[in-house]
Amino acid sequence: MASISINPREIDNTVELPGQRAPLITGKQTFNSVTEMVCAVAEKPQPMLWYILFGFSSLTALMFVSLIGYLILTGVGIWGNMSPVFWAWPIVNFVFWVGIGHAGTLISAILFLFRQNWRTSINRAAEAMTIFAVICAGIYPGIHVGRAWLAFWLLPYPSLNLWMWPQFRSPLLWDVFAVGTYASTSLVFWYMGMVPDIATYRDRSKTPLRRFIYGILSLGWTGSSRHWLRYEKAYTILAALCAPLVLSVHTVVSFDFAVSQLPGWHTTIFPPYFVAGAIFSGFAMVVTLLVPVRAIYKLENLITLRHLENMNKIILATGSLVGLAYATEFFIAWYSKNQYEGFTFMNRAFGPYWWAYWIMVSCNVISPQLFWFKSLRVSPIWMVVICIFVNIGMWFERFVITVTSLSRDFLPSSWGYFNPTMYDGLMFFGSFGVFMTLFLLFCRFLPIIAISEIKGIMSIEAHREAHDKARASGGSHHH
Amino acid sequence: MSEKKPQAAPAKPKSFGWIAEYVDEHSLLAASRKVRDSGYTKTDAYTPFPVHGIDEALGIKPTILPFIVLGAGFTGLFTALILQYWTNAYDYKYIISGKPFASWPANIPVAFELTILFSAFTTFLGMWALNGLPKLSNPLFNSERFDRVTNDRFFLHVDSRDKYFNRESVKDLLAGTKPESLEEVVEDSSPTALPSVIWLGLGFLFCASLVPVAVVLNMRAGNDENPRWHVFFDMDFQPKKKAQQTTTIFADARIARPQVPGTVARGSLVNEDPFYLGFDPTKQASLNAANNIRLVSAADDKAEKPADTAPDTASEKSATTDPVKADEPAKETPAANPPAPTPTPAATPAAAGGPNLPWITEFPLEVDASLIALGKTKFEIYCSVCHGYAGDGDGLVHRRAEQLQQGYWLPPTSVHDPRIQAQPIGNIFYTISNGKGKMAGYGTVLSPKERWAIVSYVRALQRSRNANIEDVPVEMRAKIEEAKKAE
Repeated sequence: MASISINPREIDNTVELPGQRAPLITGKQTFNSVTEMVCAVAEKPQPMLWYILFGFSSLTALMFVSLIGYLILTGVGIWGNMSPVFWAWPIVNFVFWVGIGHAGTLISAILFLFRQNWRTSINRAAEAMTIFAVICAGIYPGIHVGRAWLAFWLLPYPSLNLWMWPQFRSPLLWDVFAVGTYASTSLVFWYMGMVPDIATYRDRSKTPLRRFIYGILSLGWTGSSRHWLRYEKAYTILAALCAPLVLSVHTVVSFDFAVSQLPGWHTTIFPPYFVAGAIFSGFAMVVTLLVPVRAIYKLENLITLRHLENMNKIILATGSLVGLAYATEFFIAWYSKNQYEGFTFMNRAFGPYWWAYWIMVSCNVISPQLFWFKSLRVSPIWMVVICIFVNIGMWFERFVITVTSLSRDFLPSSWGYFNPTMYDGLMFFGSFGVFMTLFLLFCRFLPIIAISEIKGIMSIEAHREAHDKARASGGSHHH
Repeated sequence: MSEKKPQAAPAKPKSFGWIAEYVDEHSLLAASRKVRDSGYTKTDAYTPFPVHGIDEALGIKPTILPFIVLGAGFTGLFTALILQYWTNAYDYKYIISGKPFASWPANIPVAFELTILFSAFTTFLGMWALNGLPKLSNPLFNSERFDRVTNDRFFLHVDSRDKYFNRESVKDLLAGTKPESLEEVVEDSSPTALPSVIWLGLGFLFCASLVPVAVVLNMRAGNDENPRWHVFFDMDFQPKKKAQQTTTIFADARIARPQVPGTVARGSLVNEDPFYLGFDPTKQASLNAANNIRLVSAADDKAEKPADTAPDTASEKSATTDPVKADEPAKETPAANPPAPTPTPAATPAAAGGPNLPWITEFPLEVDASLIALGKTKFEIYCSVCHGYAGDGDGLVHRRAEQLQQGYWLPPTSVHDPRIQAQPIGNIFYTISNGKGKMAGYGTVLSPKERWAIVSYVRALQRSRNANIEDVPVEMRAKIEEAKKAE
């Protein structure tokens, strides 16, 4: 193979030079060097750190699976869910994970439709993260239904036992359809995007087994221009389908709350507020994952500082949106003169769960504001710290919404205080094990960067550069 | 691949056409235009990424995929709408929150999601189907150079099936485009049919997969007496007795179980504890049992013997445990009075019209100054209006009734009446709780503790009329002496 210009040094491409486009990838890459860099992730032996992380996370995932078994055999009583808080951590964790998933689809679909070419370096890993987060999310409602082996009753199928149908006027059933469509469509979108890159893996395989498995997975892809044309059309259609889909999913999740009558849930601001929060937490998770990934696998020239800075700008924007939503909730509680609404929000901030509320505000509203400083926005360490805080805050946001409203509703005689059990904590921790195990396997076996898309962008950029040069020198240029 | 190949063994592998290799997309585009202008149509370019302008350069028509997806989207939309209408408004009508059966606004989310779902899967599957993929074997893969098509090389292929294909002229044409390399691809000579072992395996798997289906269908359609096979039992099988059936769950074949001795059923402490009653219910039960036996024996002509023995044991029991309570368990019974159990001289409550019960004589709670003080408070609130502050039966109500000369007015009893003084405390408690004569019961108004407090205060009032100087604490006696002198 030709010499590869892998340059692990950090090149700052975040500076805006007048009259010049900042390069999307750095280090004077060729098509071959991009292939080499990405394939090295899966072809070279994994670093020791990978094995340590994989051992730890797979054990954690095993613990999670065992606890699910224990839960199914024993019942949901092992959790702290108790009257009046029947929707406790399982639903909090569900909304948390679904929200994280949103960043992947947003990057791959909405940024694609907006022709944001910088997305190509990060979309694959972000989409993988979406799939794994949705898997973690889907587990919770499945085991929260109590008799998990009857969870298929959620589906509308002609049943000889029940002689009945699901209730389509309930947001909980909408959720089944929304999350189900989201999970399956995201999976299809992710896989379809990967096929040309799996073909690259196939063509570089040294062993027959690798060639066979990647050969099956790449479906016989040859890169035919007829195929590419249909593929691009299909990709655009899927992006156009996924963009409204991703907005609808968290809207429907918010309907689970907003369609009820409970003060603190029954608000029309929930759909946009939930979607903003989802994008916020998802981008934070993407940054948290990609900063170590690019360092470990030496991908600094493909996932450049500029990519991370762009994501941090989105985190700043969505974090401010979330802060605005918090303020709006309080304003409406006061302006509506609804005593229950007013009580609920005073209770959130100053009631028994004041600590959760202020963790949420400091993590979600205050910490992303640090991204106004460019030095923090381009510092890998700082951005990871801030993004971890953002995700802590977003978990607490769902906790505050779910638990504070349920624990104090209209009837003071039924008020209560929620106490989680050990199993609540272990099972939340265990879901991170599932997530990390899947992500580490993804790094190990699948192309974590969209190789063909980067090459396409390189071609366009080179063409544009030539065009700009020709114009600058006063010469005429024909397409 | 779909071409029929000559099967003659020594035959040269059939040509699949020429591929020319280029290092960048611009030379590929230029070559493609040249090939197109030469009239070849069975041509294709192979590139590591979608090269823009290749459709025009090769003359490729736009795909019909968007129209297929549009159709799928509408299918999804109408599937969702019909599904929701048919299930919730026709087949299984169910009123929820006063919403209409056909609630179109509530059907929007599912309709939206199914539209997306159908469209997305049609896009995905339709794209592969139109591309003729998966196709795991391809003559192009025979070329080693072609491996770089997914890395950094661009290939132009002119198929041997083109109607103008001529081996030499195509080679010359492609060579004129200055390719990096030029190669003739040959058809794959390896057999295309799957080995029979694989077919056999697949057939076996297919048959094996039918077994569970057949078992399920058999259970659905069959008429088996045995219960279904259960993974999770839920509460489907429980030991129970059904009406008109015997049971072997308990040795005595009864399902309604008697109370276990020494236990109190949940919620029935109020019927079990003298604290709530003023009498001992277990003793009463044994007395009742004795009474019942006597009743039976009285009704029975030859019943001399059981009538003698039964009350003896009963009265013996009560006499040994509680002398006060021993009074006349049998008095109410019209049957022959057995030997009178230890007659207590003062205790004749039956004469006052009250029930005869095994009254308790000891306070079931600790009596101290605070309890008596509580009793005083409650007595003055509830009792004094009739009975008077000192318990003489001269309360305000009584005095007013006297003033009005109400002929039917029955004067309240004085607690200092010897009859009342002789009553066991359990009886007084019972009277306060349930009332007597014109007096209403205060059990619903006063807690048991408050009623016992009143009993203790009544006892204190009674004692106050029958005390001597020895009852007064030594340090208080001087005070009384002084008051006496002052008189």
